[in-house]
Amino acid sequence: MLCALHAQRSDPHQRFVGQYCTACHNEDVATAGLALDAAALRPVPENAALWERVVGKLRSRQMPPLGATRPDESTYDDVVRSLAAALDEAAAVRPDPGRTDTFRRLTRTEYQNAIRDLLGIELDLSSLLPRDESSSGFDNITVGDLSPALLESYVQVADKISRLAVGRPVPALEVERVNIKPDVTQEWHVDGLPLGTRGGTLFSHYFPLDAEYEIVIRLARDRDEQVEGLRQTHQVELLLDQRRVKLFEVVPPRHVGNHVAVDTHLTARVPVQAGPRQIGVTFLQRPWSVLETDREPYRAHYNVYRHPRVQAAVYEVSIAGPYNPRGPGHTPSRDRIFVCRPDGAGEDESCAMRIVASLMRQAFRRELSEEDFDSPMEFYRRGRAADGFEAGIEMALAAILVSPEFLFRVERDPPGLPAGTPYRISPAELASRLSFFLWSSIPDEELLAAALRGDLTQPEGLERQVRRMLADRRSQALLTNFAAQWLHLRNLESVTPDMRLFPNFDDNLRQAMRRETELFFESVIKQDRSVLDLLSADYTFVNERLAKHYGIPHVYGSWFRRVELDDDSRRGGLLRHGSILAVTSYNTRTSPVIRGHWVLENLLGAPPPPPPADVPALEDKTISGSLSVRERLLEHRANPACASCHSLMDPVGFALENYDAVGRWRDSEGGRPIDATGSFPGGTSFEGVLGLEKALLDRPESFVGALASKLLTYSLGRVVEHSDAPAVRKIVRDARADEFRFSSVVLGVVRSEPFQMRRSR
Amino acid sequence: MIVTKKALPRRTLLRGIGAAVALPLLDAMVPALTAARATPARPVRRLGYVFIPMGSDTNRWTPPGEDTLEQLSPILRPLEPHKDQLTVLTKMALKNAYPGTHATSNSAYLSCAKAKLTESSDYYLGTTVDQVAAKHIGQDTQLPSLELGMDLLEIVGQCDDGFACVYQNSLSWSSPTTPLPYEARPRNVFGRLFGEGSPEQRAKTLKKKASLLDRVKSDISRLQGELGAGDRAKVEQYLDSVREVERRIQIAEAGVANGPRPDIDRPIGVPAAYADHARLMFDLQVLALQADITRVITFQLAREGSTRSYHEIGVSEPHHPLTHHGNNPEMVAKMAKINEYHVSLFAYLVDRLKSTPDGDGTLLDHSMYMYGSGMGDPNKHDHINLPILVAGGGAGTMKGGRHIRYAEQTPLANLHLTLLEKAGVRMDSFADSMGKVDELLSI
Repeated sequence: MLCALHAQRSDPHQRFVGQYCTACHNEDVATAGLALDAAALRPVPENAALWERVVGKLRSRQMPPLGATRPDESTYDDVVRSLAAALDEAAAVRPDPGRTDTFRRLTRTEYQNAIRDLLGIELDLSSLLPRDESSSGFDNITVGDLSPALLESYVQVADKISRLAVGRPVPALEVERVNIKPDVTQEWHVDGLPLGTRGGTLFSHYFPLDAEYEIVIRLARDRDEQVEGLRQTHQVELLLDQRRVKLFEVVPPRHVGNHVAVDTHLTARVPVQAGPRQIGVTFLQRPWSVLETDREPYRAHYNVYRHPRVQAAVYEVSIAGPYNPRGPGHTPSRDRIFVCRPDGAGEDESCAMRIVASLMRQAFRRELSEEDFDSPMEFYRRGRAADGFEAGIEMALAAILVSPEFLFRVERDPPGLPAGTPYRISPAELASRLSFFLWSSIPDEELLAAALRGDLTQPEGLERQVRRMLADRRSQALLTNFAAQWLHLRNLESVTPDMRLFPNFDDNLRQAMRRETELFFESVIKQDRSVLDLLSADYTFVNERLAKHYGIPHVYGSWFRRVELDDDSRRGGLLRHGSILAVTSYNTRTSPVIRGHWVLENLLGAPPPPPPADVPALEDKTISGSLSVRERLLEHRANPACASCHSLMDPVGFALENYDAVGRWRDSEGGRPIDATGSFPGGTSFEGVLGLEKALLDRPESFVGALASKLLTYSLGRVVEHSDAPAVRKIVRDARADEFRFSSVVLGVVRSEPFQMRRSR
Repeated sequence: MIVTKKALPRRTLLRGIGAAVALPLLDAMVPALTAARATPARPVRRLGYVFIPMGSDTNRWTPPGEDTLEQLSPILRPLEPHKDQLTVLTKMALKNAYPGTHATSNSAYLSCAKAKLTESSDYYLGTTVDQVAAKHIGQDTQLPSLELGMDLLEIVGQCDDGFACVYQNSLSWSSPTTPLPYEARPRNVFGRLFGEGSPEQRAKTLKKKASLLDRVKSDISRLQGELGAGDRAKVEQYLDSVREVERRIQIAEAGVANGPRPDIDRPIGVPAAYADHARLMFDLQVLALQADITRVITFQLAREGSTRSYHEIGVSEPHHPLTHHGNNPEMVAKMAKINEYHVSLFAYLVDRLKSTPDGDGTLLDHSMYMYGSGMGDPNKHDHINLPILVAGGGAGTMKGGRHIRYAEQTPLANLHLTLLEKAGVRMDSFADSMGKVDELLSI
């Protein structure tokens, strides 16, 4: 065997494998189920999946393991390059675009956005539809199921939405309660509410009909049912679409302890026009507020025992109605739906057809066939016969919304294709892939029309649409859906730092952290910056709350602004964002394990392997409680079963130890100076966040490759596999030529074979 | 048999909602057929499964002695008043949950099956025991089964590498490829049990739903014609769901037409405090069983790998890192406190079941609720010595007051098989079962 290897060692990878790999990975030993000796004798493309795995391990320097004989950097680079070149060449000749599932239902987010774009109604459906389970980092991967519970929800939601959109009479009085989270500090101005006010809340509510509605405000109380912070008279303002509806006065009770009736008069019966309206509830700022002197350092005020409210706060706003309805009113959704009106001369049916056609084309995201009309029109007729024209339209709309053609993204193999053949997906399917990728929603008419005209098959036509879509407001979904999942920002809601250890953490800070990262990511998209700026930027976005937290001076007010940062600033790139540092911590302390895992998975695209099937239970060993986290993890890694993964993760996370569990800078912990020495799996060591960033930027194709691979996963809604690796490498190569601009990465994804094509079953 | 319907006293059932709800009351109903099918001779049998994540402190969980349950362990102490209706089983194991992960602890708990290692939509497990039961004893009720949980937030990146999150989050699987979502919002549970609005409105809504479902069915069938054989299996699954929902609607429609119904507050929001939320979810379970809307319930008291922290009992550290305690006595004690806290919430349910009359006894007499975890010692991430107990009389089939202590690790599937039999579902085997729990077969 060895002789044979020697004889054929012409390719760098063959020499490499013989020298560094086959001692463990040979037919006889096959460590981790991997044998490379025989494969090394065959042409690389014959075992593409195997060699992609090898490339991954070598690129991230996870193999050979530390302690074994390891090649130098240039040898590593050479072998990775040569293997990748062989694989890419083969892939160019015989592309394998992979196969997306035939049925992928819309995620809850996509459904919500689709309703917004189809009907002009923005609804929070999180209480009506079950959440989507995530997999491979995103919630649009395992979406092939349709359980009875989910189907029931879809039917119920379709019923509700069709009624709201058409503005049909509401069957019963409805009550919506909006609660302000208990950990919101309400001593300061809320962005979007009038200047000169403090605290309270601003939210959008959909009013189903022109009618009266009863709005009831309740103030926050402590456990003894006392209104918190009620020491003087407060003025409470109720606003509808920025205009004052009513001003209330809240007076402390004369008799201590009796707070029952303090806020019972905070109720107003208001005539409201149907449609989405902004409801604001806030307090007029008292000119002599004591708090003004107390702003440094920032103090949260919501916890009765530690840092009580200084002034009264809003607990809940409830809206009940409609009372005395006057009609459906004039709403964006009715504008959109009623593209025509029946003329009363028996022409109802043709107008209904027009309405159904326009709704259905958008909802189904394709050209319609005659057959498509059968069932919605039947529903229309039934509703029309029972309760008139608009009832008919409501029924037709409900029928469209429960159709699998709306609920699912269905991709069909062209008839007659032999199994395993790569083919170009249809123009309409491509339009959907684009819109769900960039907007998390359905295509608009411009995109759909362009697709059906064949524009998207032309490189310029495709690029024009992509650039238009990136500039469109709907591309916010890349922040709120893609980045929120890629960077785990979505988990911020569940971050609840221990109140004793972090007494000044409040929801205001939590939301500010999220906003910083969203605005930052948005700036990279909008200015089409290099994606490497995500790591190395010398600017960020803060409001006063966050600036105080970071120790950035001279920032006042609730609105966010861009700030330029000094070289020695501890803020800037993603790894310095409070949001990221908090979602990778526990509520009492940092977790180098979680942080390390986060970096490997999301920034390097090299997550530790899943636990091998034969790992026995963890060792039952007593670890002293007095050790530091670093020391405890060191003990932990003494166990080989743990070390196989933790030796990859932990050292990366250590580099971020200068940031505490809520992302504040610290030089010491518990009296001991912070040791922020870290290293990558390959042994590259670095110091602190700057060192980690530099190490990441030294190999930009790893980071860009990780991002490209995440974008590809998200855009296809399937796990990216070894067969996709050539496509990912091409995206990175092409983007490099354009300085890794965000649009170049996105265009690379969109132009890639996995995105444009599909393999038949 | 004619059952006299009485209005349930308002505000006694849905305790968890808190009294401060100054909102219009929405009337609700309990189907008139409440336990009408049950007779003293043949009471309805119910099965419930409560899941807790990350095992327990085995030392503080396991009661001393064997056979007779004389003294309860520290963690089980909240169940003291119900000792005579309790069976603790020691040395139960889940072989197929290895390699020790959170994902498989959850997925194997009721399936005892091996989870296929994948993050794609080709996940594969096994039908869970509750769903086996639902197919047999759940077909006469409006809901064959009810899947409940506590975690509301969408989170990412907190599932074990290599496994799709459905393994870690979905406790119930109606087939090896069909994980069922759970409901955590009391309002939605209530809506699913009782519908909304007046009887006339409900009847109207149900009619509309039925016709919309018809539409779904014909559309799906149409798709089926256009697709290759490989995708047809999927479509068949969808059609099964449609038929199931149709069945539910029919039963609900029959319920609307019948008799008086109690007036109960509909819960609106989600209680802020964990315990209040959990108790409300238990209240709803009692209601669903009492009204015979379902006979099979699963409930995840917290998701596997949960980092929830329990300030209310003085434990500020999150649950998951505490379970990697390295045998540090302080951390073990804190973890045990969480274990006991969860048991105390379960004790609330048992209490409620016991105080709810049902036929000639109580709901507890006619139920079997298994409580436990798919992990044993979380510090070791193992799946042996699982904390497992069963509460309830199983309609005269369970004696209680027992501690069955095996000499060797014994498949949890044996217990699943045994409880199925007691609920009237006879099977020769379930997953990796190697027999039944003989000690429980003779009363």
